[in-house]
Amino acid sequence: MSTITKPAQAIETSSSHGSFLERLKAMQSVWILGVLIVIFGAFAVLSPTQFLTTGNITNIMQNVSIWAVIAVGMTFVIITSGIDLSVGSVLVVSSVVSAKTMEALGGEGWGVALVGLLVAVVVGLLWGILNGFLVAKAHVPPLIVTLGTLSVALGIAQIITGGLDIRSAPTVLQDSIGYGRIAGIPAISLIALVVVILGGIGLHKTKFGRYTYAIGSNETSARRVGIGVDRKLVQIYALSGFLAGLAGLLSLAQFGTTTIAGQSLTNLNVIAAVVIGGTSIFGGLGSMFGSMVGLFIPATLQSGFVIIGVSPYWQTVAVGAILIAAVYVDQQRRAAASRGKGV
Amino acid sequence: MRNTIKVAALSATAVLALAACSSGKTDDTSTAGSSGASGNKNIAFVQGVAGDEFYITMECGIKAKAAELGYTVTTQGPQKFDPTLQKPIVDSVTASKPAAMLIAPTDVTAMQAPLEQAAKAGIKVVLVDTTVNDPSFAVSQISSDNVGGGAAAFEAIKAAKPGGGKVLVISTDPGVSTVDARVKGFSDAAAKDSTFKDLGVQYSHNDPATAANLVSSALQKDPDIVGIFATNLFSAEGSATGVRQAGAKDVTIVGFDAGPNQIKALQDGTVQALVAQQPSTIGSDGIEQADAALTGKTVNPKIQTGFTIITKDNLSGEGGQAAYKSTC
Amino acid sequence: MSALFEARGLSRRFGRVQALDKADFDVNAGEVVALIGDNGAGKSTLVKALTGNLDVDEGEILFEGEPVHFATPHEASALGIEVVHQDLALAPHLDAAQNMFLGRELMRAGVAGRLGFMDNSAMRTKAAAAFTELGSAVRSVVVPVGTMSGGQKQSVAIARSVAWANQVLFLDEPTAALGVVQTHNVMETIKRVRDRGLAVVLISHSMPHVLEVADRVQVLRLGRRVATYQAADTSVEQLVGAMTGALDRKEGAA
Repeated sequence: MSTITKPAQAIETSSSHGSFLERLKAMQSVWILGVLIVIFGAFAVLSPTQFLTTGNITNIMQNVSIWAVIAVGMTFVIITSGIDLSVGSVLVVSSVVSAKTMEALGGEGWGVALVGLLVAVVVGLLWGILNGFLVAKAHVPPLIVTLGTLSVALGIAQIITGGLDIRSAPTVLQDSIGYGRIAGIPAISLIALVVVILGGIGLHKTKFGRYTYAIGSNETSARRVGIGVDRKLVQIYALSGFLAGLAGLLSLAQFGTTTIAGQSLTNLNVIAAVVIGGTSIFGGLGSMFGSMVGLFIPATLQSGFVIIGVSPYWQTVAVGAILIAAVYVDQQRRAAASRGKGV
Repeated sequence: MRNTIKVAALSATAVLALAACSSGKTDDTSTAGSSGASGNKNIAFVQGVAGDEFYITMECGIKAKAAELGYTVTTQGPQKFDPTLQKPIVDSVTASKPAAMLIAPTDVTAMQAPLEQAAKAGIKVVLVDTTVNDPSFAVSQISSDNVGGGAAAFEAIKAAKPGGGKVLVISTDPGVSTVDARVKGFSDAAAKDSTFKDLGVQYSHNDPATAANLVSSALQKDPDIVGIFATNLFSAEGSATGVRQAGAKDVTIVGFDAGPNQIKALQDGTVQALVAQQPSTIGSDGIEQADAALTGKTVNPKIQTGFTIITKDNLSGEGGQAAYKSTC
Repeated sequence: MSALFEARGLSRRFGRVQALDKADFDVNAGEVVALIGDNGAGKSTLVKALTGNLDVDEGEILFEGEPVHFATPHEASALGIEVVHQDLALAPHLDAAQNMFLGRELMRAGVAGRLGFMDNSAMRTKAAAAFTELGSAVRSVVVPVGTMSGGQKQSVAIARSVAWANQVLFLDEPTAALGVVQTHNVMETIKRVRDRGLAVVLISHSMPHVLEVADRVQVLRLGRRVATYQAADTSVEQLVGAMTGALDRKEGAA
């Protein structure tokens, strides 16, 4: 006769655990969306005719698009409790090699542009594979690896160009992608949206995504159950590099130049956005939706502050404060969870 | 969850408080959207980089002239001299629909499209200091005669070192119209003079630390460099540091721009001459041209301002006046 | 009758320490054997050797009477031999169903499956069934394992191993950190696993629990098996004596 203290009801298997409201409250990304809405609302109230216009909102969307593409890869990386500081430099070197190739081919049409796209993502992919290999096989901490590739990639970009930006992207790129619109929405934002949706599906619905969470949650256990952790890590950093390469081409389309001296703060801005959105740097936790919301917060803050005339220094203060607040809240939630609100 | 609510509420309050305290202008809802409307007296000034005394001095000139003519000015600037950081700011300024925008573009190509959009929205765009590939959308371009400035810098080195020798240029980044012009002015003048050997240009990416490293390395390679021309404020700062680090004596450094650190370096003797632009004049000229465009008067499409050579000797007089300010 | 899984004369040296000194071990299907010994007796080393985590210098391991050699833990898993380590190896952010199927997910049929889409509802149903059958105290397969109590986590780890192990299951100190009720639940689960026909090896420091759940007890001391008892015929004092060497001259039936 069994003397086990049996649970009174059958084991819960439904993914809709708890009431809708309870589930909503539990997601950090929903809370961060709340913060975004509050910020948005505040500026809308302070400056209705200037902030709340379709023109301004589409500009904000357009300006976060490139970061959004990078943030997709960064979300995967940070969920594994890794980090990729090299994204800005990989963006630059990909755009440089791509621009040089397109320049050599000559021509302004789509054929050349597609070759440029291919070159950009391949360059990004190769850098990503290098990062992943060093992290997984050589066991160098991701912070150090990507700090190193950050410098090397940028240096190579400067060697290739002698420090001079290449300013000759095919006109189709700038006209249709950089500033083109489809049904009123900036083309570059639509491209970013597609990437984000694919990334979200990959992260939340496929085995690849689940293994990403598993590695970040407990790498030893992932290895024990037979997951090829090394291979997965290479693939994840390769994805980050690939997307940085794509971002390089998009940047070329938007700015018409390779901006070698620019993108210096891109890595930190994307990391901040992903972390604000609820991805934990300790691994195992995060969402694509959250990263996107996190991305919009600094962009909205900046736009709003410029429109109402706040000094630029306050903008960086505000973003930094929100970043710290977001991580603090994340810590509180994790502590509450492990204090065993046991089921 | 209560903590999260607190945080969200706090951030919202903070944002509103910040906005209330530091906002320089109120929303001009009375005059409907159009920025050309006579009621709109807002002018936006977008710096090349925030925290640079050159642009701060320009801001002072702008604010003084604007007050005189009855305009309100808000100033914005990116953290770094970087078009990827400046573009979102320009977009937001365009959305805020000022009557006019004074801007120092950070890249001749990248800022072309965003500024064209601003002009299309009816904003009068005045390019101050730097320019873009096709400035036809702007009502006016105002900058120093940078080519002449570069040539004058060469003359200053020649005056200090009449015997000739090796000279080096430390610039910021290629592709910035103003410094490229200074480099050209210097190199052309040096090329005409056979007693001097031009070692070429190195780029510091507008970072004093990089400039210092470049200079000390260059001095290791060529210890007999007699003159260095640093094409802007950060480059000059870094070059002086680099010379000190290398322990070199008797290198004539001529800097471009006259920020407080450079004036001090001049007083200390690490820099021998400074070619000071007139950012205050550029700024006030900019406001004048914007005003002219807004009130239908004749606009001057291109203005070149002059420069002042500051040496230790004239610091107390004319030279001191030309120094850049850190606050207005 | 030959044992399902046995070790004969295993020896292993680490530097100057002889961790295993001609150690023997055996376990049959459908029984719980407790492996006990003081710290440093060689229990962990023996378990590692038997599960493909460690090579031995001498001796042989036999499975169903045939000699086997494990180069990796996966080779042991392939034969149906699994270990639940003390750290449980669970991913705290994933839920019980995800943990149970970690590395062996059920995929959707057709193209979707090949693209990487998983059949979550099937996994959840199967997981819930497994937990119910084992009588575990897990109440929900969709909350993160990190929020569960120690006993629930233990049962998730055991359920995972049992799902894939169909021959031998090693449990390393499963009740070390658990309270009375949770320990009791885990003990019942172990009995149910045995009743299914698996061979269960229990490593534990707790003599009372050992006597409660084991069928036989094998004592390790200084790297070799010094005694084997039927649990029903022995007592805590006898076991402790064998562990510490007080009863060295008495040998139990091998």
